[in-house]
Amino acid sequence: MGMELKICHLYPEVLNLYGDRGNILCMKRRLEARGISCSVTLAGIGDNPDLTQFDLFFIGGGQDFEQEVLLDDLRGGKGDSIRSAVLDGKTFLCICGGYQMMGHYYQTHDGVKCEFLGAVDLHTVGGRKRMIDNYAYVLGEESGGSTVVGFENHSGRTYLGEGVQPLGRVLKGCGNNGEDGTEGVRFRNLFGTYSHGPVLPKNPQFADEIIKTALQYKYDSADLEPLDDSMEMQAHSRVLRHYLHLSESV
Amino acid sequence: MKLRSICAIAACKLTRQALRLLHRGGTALPGKAALLFDPKILEKVSAGMEIIVVTGTNGKTTTCGMLEGALRDAGRPCLSNKSGANLLSGVTAELTCNTTWSGKPKTRYAVIECDEGALKQVVPLIRPKVIVVTNLFRDQLDRYGEVMHTLEEIRTGVLRSPGSILCLNADDSLTGSLALDVPNPVVRYGFDIPTGEQKDPALSDARYCIRCGAPYSYHYHTYAHLGGFYCPKCGYSRPQADAAVTKILKMNQDGTCCRVRLPEDGWTPGTGQGCADSYEMEITVGLPAVYNLYNAMAAVCACAAFGLSAKESALSLKAVHSSFGRMETFTVGKTSLQMILVKNPAGCTQALEYLASAEKPCRVLLCLNDRTADGHDISWIWDADYEKICKDPGLTEIVVSGDRAEDMQLRLKYAGADTGRIRLIREMKEAVSWIEASRTPVYALPNYTSMLELREAVRERTGASEFWQ
Repeated sequence: MGMELKICHLYPEVLNLYGDRGNILCMKRRLEARGISCSVTLAGIGDNPDLTQFDLFFIGGGQDFEQEVLLDDLRGGKGDSIRSAVLDGKTFLCICGGYQMMGHYYQTHDGVKCEFLGAVDLHTVGGRKRMIDNYAYVLGEESGGSTVVGFENHSGRTYLGEGVQPLGRVLKGCGNNGEDGTEGVRFRNLFGTYSHGPVLPKNPQFADEIIKTALQYKYDSADLEPLDDSMEMQAHSRVLRHYLHLSESV
Repeated sequence: MKLRSICAIAACKLTRQALRLLHRGGTALPGKAALLFDPKILEKVSAGMEIIVVTGTNGKTTTCGMLEGALRDAGRPCLSNKSGANLLSGVTAELTCNTTWSGKPKTRYAVIECDEGALKQVVPLIRPKVIVVTNLFRDQLDRYGEVMHTLEEIRTGVLRSPGSILCLNADDSLTGSLALDVPNPVVRYGFDIPTGEQKDPALSDARYCIRCGAPYSYHYHTYAHLGGFYCPKCGYSRPQADAAVTKILKMNQDGTCCRVRLPEDGWTPGTGQGCADSYEMEITVGLPAVYNLYNAMAAVCACAAFGLSAKESALSLKAVHSSFGRMETFTVGKTSLQMILVKNPAGCTQALEYLASAEKPCRVLLCLNDRTADGHDISWIWDADYEKICKDPGLTEIVVSGDRAEDMQLRLKYAGADTGRIRLIREMKEAVSWIEASRTPVYALPNYTSMLELREAVRERTGASEFWQ
């Protein structure tokens, strides 16, 4: 029997600000190109599918106004299911607002605290300055070690708890908080990052790393044949060289 | 008049003349020079004028062009900032250069396009008779932060000009909400009928009720989040429009013929009288696509609020022509080129829909820059429906160009385009040579700064008029 990954796109109608559907499209294409089937289920506000049936979760970035609506829905039980899935080692890709939401809380710069999922030991503090530009980071060894280019746009500064692994080290740009050189988080099989753009299409190695993680968990094996990524790498190199003045071999 | 105002006017006029001698547009710099001498110069040079201001995400320039035509046909020639310099400096330049050396306006009427963020600076100074808000879609996220923030900026602007009649899109739940908390008299335009289905609600910029947070329901859709919306929980819903499209009779590349419902002459704007006391007529709008019908209705409604006859204004729409990169057509070599400016997912998807319906075979040029005026974040291209065109074999070749050509190329690959049909040509001059060599019509979809570059390169080749003319 052929392999299959079931993707669950969490809150697509709310967390959809930065072209994030490109990430879903990318994972689906890269799976299908290897003969692995892939289904995408949308789980929005008010939907309550059994989350244990899914292999890969995606959650994107959104607007403040809509996050209120979303927090009510999380408190209605979906939050507990998401937390269990993270702790079970299911694969997650969380972008920007979706990444912040995995942490304990978000505190605005005038002190209002907003409780989040607490699935990962991290928290975010609102800042006055927006960190916004093209940026790049190099993934930790456990996430494949390739270079990722993207676009960050956030005023929240995220701090990781003691001993929590970042997703990577910033090469150029701000990353989690513009202070400690970390970007994103890697906790069990959860990948959290500020990078949109969307992040996966022009970082094919990172895309494959996420797919492999999900396949490894489900099938205990994860060999992916290489694809023609020339257009992907052209877009990748353009940002790296032209905008960030970095070379490929960092 | 104060000395500093005289200096401001002189600085403005001289700077513009100097720039034009150098064959540069000079749309904003003269305004900056004027503001340096007198920060409130705009208030003085616009005193006594009757002005319509147009703001909103999409359709500003086209709506202004339609308004200008209607005013001209009504015997009220007006000034406009048609080159698209729509920040405080650009508006200041346009109005200051319009005065005599002693600061008296040379024309009594003006149609001013204004950036959503600059509205709050501009309108308290020029006190427009009518403010038109076309619509609100996600746009240049890295400049305005987000759609709600932009809405707040517009709200602040409107509140600073409480005497202006507010002309709103009835079908847009976002900008429509402005009526809830401003004292201004409000008039509305829209569609009484559907023109499409909502494809992917996930991409809507307004899925949840702006008042109570419950999901909207729709009696019908026109495009993007526009249509007959209502909130089942709190009752916020599309209000009646004073001017509305009631039937589309014929739509093709040259324009649209439709039936509209308009307020009777002599109505009182802001009383809802326009809906009760109305009549229907058939009109022709000289530009294609549904979004241009919205622009047309915005213009007619604003004219009616301004005190002109709605009927006469509607008739002038037949002669409307494309403006500056918006459906503008050129002849390059032996082929025709149509340029459609695209700046955000909603507008881009509409342009792609138009392209899908265009006669085939044809070629397509997609230009993407990421400079300050465009917004540095180009992720929005993933929310526009390039899938609509990519699988059509009638598009024999697709060229990608501009600073972010590689990202556009990758987007097309994911939209299902045959990669063998995509070519990357970075430089606009070279792209124009490619257009010139084409034997089939070419459609270009550039974003803002790449449109300026492309238009300039086309102008050099064909001798079309410079952009401030």
